[in-house]
Amino acid sequence: MRKAERSLGVVLFPAFDWAISPTHPEREERLLYTQDQLHEEGLFDVEGVREYKPDVATREDVERTHFCFPDVDAVTTRSHLVSAGGAIRAARLVMDKEAERAFALVRPPGHHAMKCVRGARGFCNVNIEAIMVEWLREHYGVRRVAIVDTDCHHGDGTQDIYWHDPDVLFISLHQDGRTIFPGTGFPIESGGPTARGRTINIPLPPGTGDQGVLTVMRELVLPLLAEFQPELVINSAGQDNHYTDPITDMKVSAQGYAELNALLNPDIAVLEGGYAIQGALPYVNLGICLAMAGMDYSALREPDYHAEALRQDERITAYVEELCRQMPRVYHDPPAAPENPRNGMREGDWWMRNKSIFYDTGGFQETQKEGLHLCGNCRGLLKIESQVDSLRCLGVEIPHGACTACQNLGHSIVEESQLKSAFRYVQLIDRVNKEYSRYGF
Amino acid sequence: MYLGIDVGGTHTDAVALDLSGPGVEVVAACKVKTRHDDLLGSVNEALERILRGVDRKLVRRLNLSTTLSTNAIVEGRAEDVGVLVVPGPGMDPSEYMLCKDFHVLDGAMDHRGNETARLDKAQCSAALEACRRDGVRAFALVGKFSVRNPLHENTLRHWLCHTKDEKGCERADFVTLGHHLGGRLNYPRRVASAYFNCAVWRLYNQFADAVEASLGRMGLGHVRVNVLKADGGTMPLAYSRKMPVQSIFSGPAASVMGIIALCEIIHDSVILDIGGTTTDIAVFADGAPLLERAGIEIGSHPTLVRALKVKSIGVGGDSALSMIGDLVRVGPRRLGPSMAEGGRHPTLTDALNCRGLCEVGDLEASRRGVAAYAESHTISPEKLAAQAVEAAARTIHEETRSLVAEINDRPVYTIHELIEGKRIVPRKLYLMGGPAKAMRMPLFGCFQLASEAPEHFAVANAIGAALTRTTTDVELFADTQKHVMFLPGLGHHENIPASYNLENAKRDAMNHLLAHLADLKLASDAERAEITHASSFNMVEGMNTVGRNIRVKCQIKPGVERTLR
Ligand SMILES: [Zn+2]
Ligand SMILES: [Zn+2]
Ligand SMILES: [Zn+2]
Repeated sequence: MRKAERSLGVVLFPAFDWAISPTHPEREERLLYTQDQLHEEGLFDVEGVREYKPDVATREDVERTHFCFPDVDAVTTRSHLVSAGGAIRAARLVMDKEAERAFALVRPPGHHAMKCVRGARGFCNVNIEAIMVEWLREHYGVRRVAIVDTDCHHGDGTQDIYWHDPDVLFISLHQDGRTIFPGTGFPIESGGPTARGRTINIPLPPGTGDQGVLTVMRELVLPLLAEFQPELVINSAGQDNHYTDPITDMKVSAQGYAELNALLNPDIAVLEGGYAIQGALPYVNLGICLAMAGMDYSALREPDYHAEALRQDERITAYVEELCRQMPRVYHDPPAAPENPRNGMREGDWWMRNKSIFYDTGGFQETQKEGLHLCGNCRGLLKIESQVDSLRCLGVEIPHGACTACQNLGHSIVEESQLKSAFRYVQLIDRVNKEYSRYGF
Repeated sequence: MYLGIDVGGTHTDAVALDLSGPGVEVVAACKVKTRHDDLLGSVNEALERILRGVDRKLVRRLNLSTTLSTNAIVEGRAEDVGVLVVPGPGMDPSEYMLCKDFHVLDGAMDHRGNETARLDKAQCSAALEACRRDGVRAFALVGKFSVRNPLHENTLRHWLCHTKDEKGCERADFVTLGHHLGGRLNYPRRVASAYFNCAVWRLYNQFADAVEASLGRMGLGHVRVNVLKADGGTMPLAYSRKMPVQSIFSGPAASVMGIIALCEIIHDSVILDIGGTTTDIAVFADGAPLLERAGIEIGSHPTLVRALKVKSIGVGGDSALSMIGDLVRVGPRRLGPSMAEGGRHPTLTDALNCRGLCEVGDLEASRRGVAAYAESHTISPEKLAAQAVEAAARTIHEETRSLVAEINDRPVYTIHELIEGKRIVPRKLYLMGGPAKAMRMPLFGCFQLASEAPEHFAVANAIGAALTRTTTDVELFADTQKHVMFLPGLGHHENIPASYNLENAKRDAMNHLLAHLADLKLASDAERAEITHASSFNMVEGMNTVGRNIRVKCQIKPGVERTLR
C-alpha cells in the first residue's frame, strides 16, 4: 500500500452544476479533468490521503468578513457559500489534526473579492481565504497568519481585506499589473498606517518561469515567513502562471508548481484561478497534492512539456534577482506612500482614503471612502462608505481586541447613521462581541 | 426449484427453495463443514443432502458463492502473471508493483483519451519475451486512461497474440485488458484487478469445470449456474470464467441478500451479521444496501471489484475475553472455541451463557471458565460476564456509528447533492448469525433502536445466494468533439455526430446494457435497469463550445427475485 509522508485532506468540490455562463472560463468543466486525473491516479487510495466534502459557509461566516450590500443573499449564490465552506472544511481538518495538511480544490475562487462586496470582480464574489481565516480566528483563536498568493493575478481583494491588519502577512506573487487584470500589486502598496510592511507585492514580468518563481520563493518569501513567524501558512493556490493558461503570459510548469508548494510547505492551500483546464489543472493540482503529502512528484509532466521552450529570458532572471535583493526592505523598513486621497491621508484622528472599484462582471463602478480610526490603544475602528450610482451604504467594523472607546465609537456611528438615514444599508461587524448586524431594507 | 450454496470459511450452507407456489418455501437446508482442501467435495456433499427427496428435474437454478478465488490469493496459490503497464506521466507506478513479471512501458494517454506518447514496439516485444521466458501464460495489459481510449491495451494484445479473438492464443492462455473491467477511473486499482483476474483464472476455471461435471453426474446438467459477486448480484457461470475476480469476497453479499429476502427493509437500517470471529456491519439507505465507493481490497491491494459496503470488526461469539486494568475487553483476538464447546479460554459466548442470554454447549464449563478468569483478575464472575457482554455491544455500536459517520461524510460533487444530500440515520437493526438472538437486548441497550432477528437466520446467507438476481452495469463515455462514444466494459466503440447529447447517451447506455443481458440470456430483468449517473459538460475553447463530454452509468438494480416475507 502506498503511503503519504504527511497526511493530506483534499476537499474536492467541482460544483458540477454551477457556472457564471456557458462559455465563461470559470465554468462547470473547470475541475472535471482534475477530478478525473486524481481519481485515475488512485490518489485517494494512498494511505494518509483522503477526500472530504465541503462544509457550507453560513451567512454569518460571510458577514464576519465582508460588508455585503445590499446583503449576503444578493451578492452570493450557494456555490460561493460551498466554496468558502470548502476552505473552512480544509482548515478544520488541519486544526482538528485530522490531517497535517489540507487542500481545498473548490470553485468559484475568491481572491479578488474585497472587504466591501457589491457584486462579482474577476470571477470572485466573496473571499474564501479571508472567510476561512476569520472563521479560524473566531473558532480556534488563531491570530498570526501568512497568506501567500501564488495566483498569476494580484490578490487585490485579500490585500484590501488585510490592509490594516498587522497580524496577517499577505504576500502576492503575480504577473506585473501593468500587463494584466486587475492592474494593481506594486511594491509601494505595502499596507495601511498600522500594518505597514505586512502587505508584500511581488510583480513579475510576463514570461517568468519555474526558475523565477522558485527564486522568489526561496530567497524572498521563505526568509520573510521565517521572520514573521505565523501560526499558519496559507497558499492562495491560483494556477494561472502555467505556460498554457489562456488568460495570462507566464511560463510555470506543473513541476514548478509542485516544487513551489514543497518549498512553501503551507498548512492549507486553497485553489484560486487557473483556466487551462485540460493542459494544466490536472497536472498542477496533482503536483500540489503530491507535494503537500510529501510524496514523489518527479514522474509528473504535462504531455506537451518542453524544458527548452519554458526557459525564462536572462533579463527576467536578472530582474528577479534584483527584486529579491530590494524587496525585503518593504517588510523591514516600508517606505511610506505619498499622502494623498488615493493612497490615504490623515484627517484628524482618522486615516482616510478614497477608492474607486470596478466590478468587471457586473460592469459598474463603486466609490468608497474608507476610514481607519487611529486609536493608539488598539488596531482601530474601520468604516467604509460605499456608493454605487446614488445608492449609499455604510460598513463599520470593530476589530479584534478593540478598546472600549473604539467599540463605543463604532456603535455610535452606526446609531447616528440610522438617525440621519443617509445610508440605505448599514452593516456592523463587531468582532469583540462576535455580533454581526445589518440595518436597512 | 432454486438452490443456493454459500461456501464459507467454516461452514458450507445450502438451501433448496420451492418457488412454485405464491410464496417461497424452504424445502431443505443444511450446513456441512467446509473442507478447504476439497471445496468441490463440500459443495457436492451439501447438494446431495438438500436434494434428498427432491425431484431433480424441477431444479432450475443453482446460485453459488465460493471462497475459492479468495483463498487462492490469501494462500499464495495464485498463478504467475505478466503485468504490462502503460502509466504515462503522473505517480510512480513501481509503487504498486504486484509481481515479478511487472513491466512499465513508455506511452501515454490523457484524460480525454488523446494519445500523447506512443508505445515503443521494441520495448513491448522485449517485455513480452521476458514474460514468456519466465513461463508466464496469463497476461494483464493495462494503460492509464484506457477507459477513455483502449488503443494501447488493444495494441499490446495484438502484439502478444496477433489476434483480436477473445480466446487464448499460442502464446497466452488468458489475457485481461484493463478497460474490460469497467469504465471507472483508478489506474492502480485497474492494474490490481487485472492482475488478480489473471492470477486466479486457471484455478477458478478448473473449479467451474468440476462443478459442471459433478452437476452432470447428479442429474443436474440442465440447471443454470450463477456465481455470486461481492456487489450483491450474480453472474452466469460462463461469464464468470472470464471475470473470476468478480467472485471474490461474495460471502457478506450472500448474507445481506439473505436479510433482504427475509425481512422487509424500508428505512435506513443497520445489518449486523454476528459470527464466530467477526461481526459484519452493513448499512442500508431507504431499504437498499450501500456499495463500496470504489471497490474492495484484495490482499491489501485496492481493486475495482464492486462490493457492498461491509465493515468487518473483530467481535464474535468466539472472541476471547481479556482485561486491561479494570477494563473488560472482547476480541479482537480469538483463542480457540468457547469453553462451552471445549475451548480453554473464556469467550463472548461463555459470557452470554453466564448471563442466561443463550444456552450454547456446556453451560457449566462456561461458568467455571468465567469464574476462574474473574478470580485471577480480582473481579466477580457476574461483573466480568456483564461487562464483557456490555463491552461487545458497545464496540459494535461504536464501530457502527463511525461507519455511518464515514458514509455521511462521503464526498459529493454538485451543489444539488450537497444541499439536498441525504444523511443516513439508522432507524432499525437487523441481526443475524449465531449469537444474534443472545446479543439482541444488549445491543438494544446501546443503539436504542428496534431490532429484528429473522427466522431462518442461520442459513440466511444460502437463502440470499439462492434468490439473488443477476446484475450487470455499464458505463458510457462520449466526447462529441472527438466524435467517439465508448463503453469500456463491453469494449464497444462507436462514432457519433457532433449533435450527440445526454439523452442519446442515456438511451445508448440502456440499449447496450439490455443487449448485454440478452447475450447473457437474461432479457427478463430489463425492468430493473436504471440510470445511476448521467452528466454532460460543455467543452469550451476560447469562447466557443466545441463539444460535450458525456458520462452515463447504468445498472441492473441488485436485489432478490422473491422474498420469504
Ligand atoms: Zn498573486
Ligand atoms: Zn488569477
Ligand atoms: Zn481603540
